[in-house]
Formats: sequence, C-alpha cells, structure tokens
Amino acid sequence: MISAKNLTKQFISSKKKPGLLGALESLFYREPVIKNAVESFDLEINQGEMIGLLGPNGAGKTTLMKMFTGIIVPSSGELKILGHEPAQRHKEFRKNIALVMGQKSQLWWDIPAMDSFLLLKRYYEIPELEFKQRVTEMAALLNVESLMNIHVRRLSLGERMKMELMASLLHSPKVIFLDEPTIGLDLVAQENIRQFILDYHRKTHATLIITSHYMADVQALCQRLVLIFDGKKAFDGPLKTFETILGNDKIVSFQFADSLTEDAALFADFSPVYQEDRKGVELKIPLEKLRAVTSEALEKFDITEFNTDKMPIEKVMKTLMTNPQLLKRHSL
Amino acid sequence: MGIKHYAQVYRGFVSTSFTEATSFRLNFLLLIIMDLFFYVSVLATVSFIFDHVETIGPWNRTQLMFFMSFMLVIDHLHMTFVSESFWMLSTHLKTGELDFTLLKPVNSIFSVFFRHVRPSSLCNIFVTWGLLIYYGRQVPLTTLDWVLLPPLILLSFTLLCLIEFIIASSMFWVTEGLGINFLRMQIQQLSRWPDYIYGILSRKILTIALPVLLIGSAPVHFLFDKSRYLPLGGMVIAILGSFVVLRWIWARGLRRYDSASS
Repeated sequence: MISAKNLTKQFISSKKKPGLLGALESLFYREPVIKNAVESFDLEINQGEMIGLLGPNGAGKTTLMKMFTGIIVPSSGELKILGHEPAQRHKEFRKNIALVMGQKSQLWWDIPAMDSFLLLKRYYEIPELEFKQRVTEMAALLNVESLMNIHVRRLSLGERMKMELMASLLHSPKVIFLDEPTIGLDLVAQENIRQFILDYHRKTHATLIITSHYMADVQALCQRLVLIFDGKKAFDGPLKTFETILGNDKIVSFQFADSLTEDAALFADFSPVYQEDRKGVELKIPLEKLRAVTSEALEKFDITEFNTDKMPIEKVMKTLMTNPQLLKRHSL
Repeated sequence: MGIKHYAQVYRGFVSTSFTEATSFRLNFLLLIIMDLFFYVSVLATVSFIFDHVETIGPWNRTQLMFFMSFMLVIDHLHMTFVSESFWMLSTHLKTGELDFTLLKPVNSIFSVFFRHVRPSSLCNIFVTWGLLIYYGRQVPLTTLDWVLLPPLILLSFTLLCLIEFIIASSMFWVTEGLGINFLRMQIQQLSRWPDYIYGILSRKILTIALPVLLIGSAPVHFLFDKSRYLPLGGMVIAILGSFVVLRWIWARGLRRYDSASS
C-alpha cells in the first residue's frame, strides 16, 4: 500500500542578516543553508491501517505528507503508494488519495461550501447519485446540513474543518493524509472530528496517516505510531509499546484525610509531587513495586482515595521530545 | 472522455467564479467600468493621433482602428479567461495553497491557469466585438475575412496565453510574482501595436525569439493582404513550439516546488 525506502528530502534556503545593510547584502550574496527535512526514511503501511505520525515542530512530518501526496518531489529514495510513484502525479493516484491540512484550506473562501463540493464532484467525476448520497450522509454525521450554503469565510474554524473533511472524502479516497486535522478546535469539535474519522474508517477501511500534537487524537484513532525526530524515524510500533517505552512505571496518586506535616520517607524513591495543601501526592512507581508500596501506604496513612494509571502518552511524548536519546534504547 | 471531463471541470470553474464575483457586487460593477475606460482610452488615443496624420506606416485610420479592435478582443478574452490566474499563482506559490491544486486529478497547467474566470469582463463582450464588427465593416472585410476572423482570434489568443504561461512559470524560481507579472504585462503591451512601428532588429527579435508581434500583426496583415500568409504559418509554429516549451518548463517548475511550511 505505502512503501518508502531511504526517502530523503533536502531543502535549500538562505540566511539573511537583519536590517537594511543585511537586505542590501542579500541582493548580491546569500549564505545557503542546506537542511535534510527528511533523511533515509523507511516505512511500510498496509491497507486499512491508521498510523499516527508524531514528532516535534519542524521534525519533517508535513514534508513526509507532501512527498506521500506527490506535492513535492523527494531528493532521493523510493516511494510507492497504491502502486504509483507519487511524484509522477498520475491521475489514478490523485483520484485515490486525499489530504486534509488543519492549517490550510482547500475550500474556496468566497463561495459556499456546497459550490466547492460541486466543483470537486466534477474534478473527481463523482456520479450524481453517489455525490448526493455522500454529501447528505456526511453532512448529517457532522451536523452541518444548515451550513452548506453559507460562504466559507463566514464559518467558524470548527465548522470549516468539518467542511474540509467532507471536501476531502467526497471522492472516497483509499488513502487519507490528515495533517493536524483538529488543530485549534475546541474539545467538542475535536471529539466530533475524531468520531467522524473513526466512523469513516470503519465503513471504508481506508488507510489513514495522521499527524497531530494532540495525544487524544492519537489515542482515539491510531493503533500504530511512527515517531520522527530531525527528519529521521525514531520509533515505529504499536501504541501499546509506545506507552511503555519509558518503562512500566505506574502513576499513582493518594489523597489523605489530613495534610502531611513532612515528606514521607516511603515515597522518596518514587519522584513524589505533593499538592500545595499537602493533602495529596502523585508518584511514579515501577510495576513490580506497586503492590508493596500501595499496601504500606494504606497501612501508614489515613488515605481517603487513591488512583493508579499507566504513564499518560502526553508524558511519554514530552519526555521523549526533551530527551530524544532515550529512544536509542529501542531498536526500530 | 478526457475532453468531456475537462469541459465539466471548466463549467465548474465558470460557475464558482460567478458565485465568487457576484458576492462583491460593487467590485463587480467597478471592474466592468474600468475595462470600458481602458477600451475607450486605447481607441481615443489612436483616433487623436489620426486627427493629425493621414497614415501611420502603411495603414490608414480605419485599418489601424480595426487592428486595435482586434487586439482589444484578444485582450478581452485574456482578461476574462486567464488574467486573474496569473496573480493567484504568485500568491498560491508563496502561501503553499498550490498544494491543493496539484492534488486534483487534472493537468496542473489547466487547473492553475484556467481556474479563475472574471465574469465582470465577460459583460463587456458586446463592446469589444461590437467595435471589431464596426471597424471590420469600415475596412471593409470580405465574407471570407469574416469567416476567418473567429479562428484567427482563437489562434492569437492561444499564442498570447502560451507565451504568458511560459513567463509565469518562472514564478517557480522567483517565487514573488510581482516582477514577473509586470514583465508579462509589458510584453503583452508590445503586441498591442502593429509590427511595422518597431525597428528591423526589434521586429525580428519580437517575431522570432519572443513571437509577441505575431499575435496581432500576423492575422491582421493576412486579412488585409492574403499574400502575407507566411507570418500566419509562423504563428502556428510558434504555438506548437510554445506548447512544447511550456510543458518542459512547467515540469521542471513542479520538480522545484517546495510548497510552504505549515
């Protein structure tokens, strides 16, 4: 379905000194800056998979997406999607993919969404009946029936994003690239979009590649994660493996009946974080010590409530982003 | 199948352009009036010159006014069907909005240069064609000339578009399109005058190397004098050559396109 081998994309930009003198100098000389946005990237994705492509800003996620969709041409390496080389931009290839970008709009700003859909119908040669059926179905699912004839510039960000999704899925693509589809949306809108994507995947079994900085998106949608740092693949595996990448530590929180007067020696080895009123503490306890520490705490303190959870994916991601060397322990 | 698909898509372009243009009614009216001002100023200038001279080169007032009307028809087609797209290309290259155009399953030259139609200009079709018919009757044109006129206009429009598409394609390298668009407009300006007003060397350059003078002069000379068919042949060759060059340069431009960061 998707196969990338040694994929590399190099961008050449230039440095410019600040101010008027810098501007004048740049007319005659510019210091070139060569950057490998993506470097020797290998990836295999099977049909129907939902992949989360994660990484910090500037890691190369969007560059990858643009190479996958044929928008930009790789500097080197091999790339095949649905049997096509994306850079060749074959009509059949373009008819079977879609790209949704949270930060850019494919809808025409000064016309109602429905007019854009009608144009897309012509682009993708969608039969009339199918078109009507899909528009009705998707509009109902996304609850935007009343907004179809309103100019896109008048819609809220959440409403526009729903229209963007509709526009991208009208032609029933086999591979869908979603680049930060929930960026800037409120929690309800994010949830609606996620639910819609899940429903769409359940019905069509399309392949989805999603980038997002919201871990809730990743947890709700993806079974597999691919991490990219500085243009290189740093992790590729199931979400469950990713969650335990920093070990099997559990996050345990205790609430006490009375404030603790001093730090408890029992908690000292487990990175305790006390609440301001010292009526609660959060600990990071290795799985093998969980039972012993919990029992002892229940005996020693007047505990009103306690809670155990696995390491939140946000914490894993944040730790890895600040300490990418931790990933070296994990072979790809 | 291919042509039908493209015709369907083009109908969509026209439809959405109308929807877009009529959203801003005052702007729509202003553009019609501005175009009319331009047509009047061009013809008034030539008419004023002829108030003081009998002929300019080999042509008298009626012949030159017919040539100017011929070029106004070409200009009108250009303004209506392609001019907006040149400005949009520059913006789309800088903002990365071109990404979505490249994803569409049609030829990108088509979807870039024919995407935006200017409906307000379309309203002036009666003015430009009215002027052409008026001066054509003054010349006077023969029945054969009237039959040949529409295909000759189509050829001229095609050559002008191809030359401008080639120039606009250089935006892939320069990114900022203002300079390129001014260059394109200046080159179009050169074609608005008959070839004989240029010196021998400039005429050769503007006929062979950058064949803008063929756009208006070749068909009008032919209409006035059927023995001057060679420039018309040159025009057909220029169209074919420009098409090949456009495809080549466009393919290279697309390879160079880096999009914009998100």
